[in-house]
Amino acid sequence: MLLLITVLLPILCGALLPAFRFKNRRLREGYVLFSVLLTSALVFLCCFTTRGNVTFSFLHFTQKITCSLHLDDLGRVFTCMIAFLWPLASLYAFEYMEHEGRQNSFFAWYTLAFGITLGISMAGDVVTLYLFYELLTLVTLPLVMHGMGKERVAAGLKYLYYSLFGAGLAFAGIMLVLAYGETSAFVPGGVLRGLDESRVPLMRLGYLLVFVGMGVKAAVFPFHGWLVSASAAPTPVTALLHAVAVVKAGVFGLIRLTWFSFGPDLLRDSFAQWIPFALAAFTILYGSVNAVRETHFKRRLVYSTISNLSYILLGTVMLTPRGLEGAMLHMVYHAFMKITLFGVCGTVQIRAGLTEVSQWHGLARRMPLCMALFVPSALAMTGIPPLDGFHSKWTLAMGALETGGPPAVVGCAVLALSAVLTAVYLLVPAFHAFFSVPAGPSPQDRLDPSLQMLLPLSVWTLTTLVLSFSYAAFMPFVSSIVRSVIR
Amino acid sequence: MPILLPCLVFLPMLWAPAAYLTGRKSKKARDIVVSAGALVHFALALTLLASVLSTKEAPSFTLDGFCGLGIRFRADGFRALYACVAGLMWSVTGLFNPEYFAHYRNRNRFGFFFLLTLGATCGVFLSDDLYTTFIFFEIMSLTSYPWVAHEETPGALRAAQTYLAVAVIGGMVTLMGLFLLHHALGTLQFEEMRQAARRLADPGSLLLPGVLVLVGFGGKAGMFPLHIWLPKAHPVAPAPASALLSGILTKTGIYGILVLTVYVFRTDTRWGLLILALGCVTMLLGAVLALFSVDLKRTLACSSMSQIGFILIGAACQSLLGEESSLAAQGTILHMLNHSLFKLGLFLCAGTVYMNLHQLNLNDIRGWGRKKPFLAVCFLLPALGISGIPLWSGFLSKSLLHEGLLEYIGLGAEGAGFSSVVEKVFIVTGGLTLTYMTKLFVALFVEKHPTRQKEFDRKTPYLSPVGRLLLLLPALLVTVPGVLPALTARPLSYAALPFMDAVPHDVDYFSLENLLGAFKSVLVALFCYPVVVRGLLMAPDMEKHGKKKAAPRVYVNRWFRRFDMEDTLYRPLIHGLLTGLGLLAQGLDRLLEGLMLPLGLLAGADLARGLDQLLERFLLPAGQSVLTALAKVLDGFTEKALKPAALHLGTFTGRVMDSSVDAMTLGLRRTLFRAKKPRPVPTVGNRLTFAVGSFLDRICAFLNRTVFKRRPIRTRFVSVLAALAEDAEENSRHFARTISFSLLVFALGFLALLFLVLR
Repeated sequence: MLLLITVLLPILCGALLPAFRFKNRRLREGYVLFSVLLTSALVFLCCFTTRGNVTFSFLHFTQKITCSLHLDDLGRVFTCMIAFLWPLASLYAFEYMEHEGRQNSFFAWYTLAFGITLGISMAGDVVTLYLFYELLTLVTLPLVMHGMGKERVAAGLKYLYYSLFGAGLAFAGIMLVLAYGETSAFVPGGVLRGLDESRVPLMRLGYLLVFVGMGVKAAVFPFHGWLVSASAAPTPVTALLHAVAVVKAGVFGLIRLTWFSFGPDLLRDSFAQWIPFALAAFTILYGSVNAVRETHFKRRLVYSTISNLSYILLGTVMLTPRGLEGAMLHMVYHAFMKITLFGVCGTVQIRAGLTEVSQWHGLARRMPLCMALFVPSALAMTGIPPLDGFHSKWTLAMGALETGGPPAVVGCAVLALSAVLTAVYLLVPAFHAFFSVPAGPSPQDRLDPSLQMLLPLSVWTLTTLVLSFSYAAFMPFVSSIVRSVIR
Repeated sequence: MPILLPCLVFLPMLWAPAAYLTGRKSKKARDIVVSAGALVHFALALTLLASVLSTKEAPSFTLDGFCGLGIRFRADGFRALYACVAGLMWSVTGLFNPEYFAHYRNRNRFGFFFLLTLGATCGVFLSDDLYTTFIFFEIMSLTSYPWVAHEETPGALRAAQTYLAVAVIGGMVTLMGLFLLHHALGTLQFEEMRQAARRLADPGSLLLPGVLVLVGFGGKAGMFPLHIWLPKAHPVAPAPASALLSGILTKTGIYGILVLTVYVFRTDTRWGLLILALGCVTMLLGAVLALFSVDLKRTLACSSMSQIGFILIGAACQSLLGEESSLAAQGTILHMLNHSLFKLGLFLCAGTVYMNLHQLNLNDIRGWGRKKPFLAVCFLLPALGISGIPLWSGFLSKSLLHEGLLEYIGLGAEGAGFSSVVEKVFIVTGGLTLTYMTKLFVALFVEKHPTRQKEFDRKTPYLSPVGRLLLLLPALLVTVPGVLPALTARPLSYAALPFMDAVPHDVDYFSLENLLGAFKSVLVALFCYPVVVRGLLMAPDMEKHGKKKAAPRVYVNRWFRRFDMEDTLYRPLIHGLLTGLGLLAQGLDRLLEGLMLPLGLLAGADLARGLDQLLERFLLPAGQSVLTALAKVLDGFTEKALKPAALHLGTFTGRVMDSSVDAMTLGLRRTLFRAKKPRPVPTVGNRLTFAVGSFLDRICAFLNRTVFKRRPIRTRFVSVLAALAEDAEENSRHFARTISFSLLVFALGFLALLFLVLR
């Protein structure tokens, strides 16, 4: 029951927000922060007071088609990550959105989206997952279109069409699971164990549909177009939704469906493994190369997101224990790094008015704290030890080697090459910010933002550092999830 | 004692922020904190070395779970010795820093990264598995970047960029190699790797991972063909940083190569020959580059490269000789140690020159050292050492390396012929070393500056007493072991042998054979210096003195610019690769747009055609039959009139439905996909249209003047073409927007299809 309340609370609070018609900034911020913090507190309560699997089923249509919420260890990881990030991102958004206006509607949708994302992470069966997945599209659409500028409306429509297309394909695959699976709930190792041999090709095709469908949200090539256009949205949206919540929801949905519905045994060594593998590997390179090519810093980060999401997908479809471990680690690590990078990027954009990479030369003289916060995440993204990005890449590479044969080498090579490209597109601007002399006259003003913006950025950076050095505490938990799935 | 290991690594790293914060308050206090950090480190390292030497045990320390696999440290003789060398070098440069950096900016930053790098370097030298080595190796690469970039001049930034590129690309290639190595052996711990490699059925499968790992370590060591950063980074880096870069950071690369050689490829001849060949080229190329250079620090940098080549040959011999590699192992250890000290002394001398003159070109600084006997001695002793003159420590290590090489030739095994060529190169390079050191010494301390000599000879204080002490220390440290090898060099090299998996083997350092080798090198130098340096590499200064015969001879740089591998090979290669990948990505984007558009149009067309067919198949026949029935009732005349009318009606309906798709598209275009307001006619357009347009305009103007005088052409092609380009761009944008719509249509169509199939 608590699960349902947790999911419904932010939805309710968000829906009620326009009713209050806040005129006072402080009041609105207090309201939003209160509701978000309360939800997060509830989430942590749910996650840490319970052990094992908790299921709450609240709707029964037929025996198979039910709606239920469910909390297991995998869900805990994702849920806690979301609950940790959301309040801080809201804090960041408060100051940022001063420059955008129409905060009442913005924060209404922003809070709503929190509930929906929690719904995805706690979905107990494929129907609920699909339901919240569709809702997420609709709820985040107004956020992308915020301000209704021409570019944003176009981006929003593109986002809508792509998502509906993806949802259509995913729906087809989910229908197949409903039709032939033992149950619609998520069971570690899959629900298709007793599948008739003759249906195997059909189900593999179904998985491919699901991969492409969910892959649209996870921005797999060639369905990444919407994410690039959607970078026109306000930075808090890009940072939280397009680096963490929405795209990770796609990735999380895929992990769920791969390991808990279709099951690795069905897919292993078939076209349903290798086509997604190839797509993910290709997207990693494609995203990195485009990030190097891109000179607009925010779009560069978006391409980097595209590339990094595919790291996670690659780990998922390796179908090896190490691969899944790496995928989960990277899912969490990447969230913290990327949200910091986007946060810094947005701060630079509104405080200094700089959008292009070439304008970063010597920026550290004007925004020393901001740039100092940028560096650890950039290093971690590149995979420089001992930061956390290195662990996840190492684990992913070991997972790739476990698959054996050419994919192992391809996986490793892609990871290494992409790491070099990451260094080019993230470290080079960072070094220019610190060591280069700015071209032309350089204003000597200090532009570091207020504490309200710096606090979330520092907390995220700190989390990245803590994750880097508390690997030993975190790892057994991840391994236990993997063990439960592999059995 | 094990607790000393993490202390040596992490203490300087924790000390670094303290130094930085102190520096914000007081500069003096910062200098003290930084030097104290290095000195404390040195003291701890000495304690460790003493305890290792006295107890003959190798303490180890494991930190489980750190960075995933956990990190392992272990201090046997070799590793404790190198931790000590690191402590010594950092202490000396740390004490030298305040004087050298007196007029620099950003000294806090330098101090911060100075200490961080000390910790990381120690982490590399104390590591007990390649995973740990790699972690600290990467940290060290990044924390030493600010050293190179310290001056923030364009030259420094470019050199730093090269340094970073070699470090990052090399690091990632090494990482890839480590993935494969870990997969092949199941472990990266040194001792376990050795056993796993022995058990392996096919040792050849390790070669690829080995070569990949070699890239990163070789790059750091300055091994050919990855030496490119070395000659660039040293001249622009501050002198204390150069001393450390060349004296000890290159040794971390050597450490990695030694680990591979000793623990993975102990008996693999192919590996040995590979390293031998690379070492030989590095050795010779470095010496030749040093000979041609006219910049004091660049010469020293290239010399480092050459000496690294000597060390690599020693490493190669260990793989080639297998169990009987004692001499080569001793030579390798001693030469590493000696080279660190030589370069410490020489770079500090170079730093003294730069500190006073702010110039490094040999023509500008020549004669500065005259009447400065102290500096001359401090320069001369390491210079003699590095040239391998008997009674200095370089002679011992080079002789041992040489004997190792001769031993392998004596075995007559695979590649012996090649090895004898290497042996000749070894002797010649030894001679070249003496040649370029003589060149430096003569330029600095013997020759006179054509114009500023009086100013140079004035007795002004050029170095503080502390600085003098620091310069004297390495000079003594290379001389004493050379005179008393049995008391100093031998016990140290014996203590370090277990790391190399070799047993002590007594050797007569001053045997006739060794002296003869040194003599041959001296002969080469006696020939090379007058002929090559005085003859080929010096020319009358034509620029300043016209064509007078009496013009003083100056050093000229005769090295070919074309031969710069960085500019002619690596940079174009990387640029080409990036551009190629970028073009590929761009092409794919275009292809995607191109593919999706027809797909979308196809889907739309299908819909329209489907409706049409629906009309034709069902409506028309139905209408026809109804009409026929009617017609049968009515008489023939009406039949003739009605039938064509009905047909026309049907066609008309079809057409209406057909064009409704167009109307829908039009409507969508008016509402959702509304085009932007027409802009004022552009006048410039993009580069291409402007170029073509202005060309056409000029032709028109020409024609107007000549042919069409009466009815001149008034078209402005620039604006016409610009408008066309704008149009095309607008259209492509519109297409791109349609794609997403077509995706939606496709999904709907797909669902319908699925419904039909599954029904």
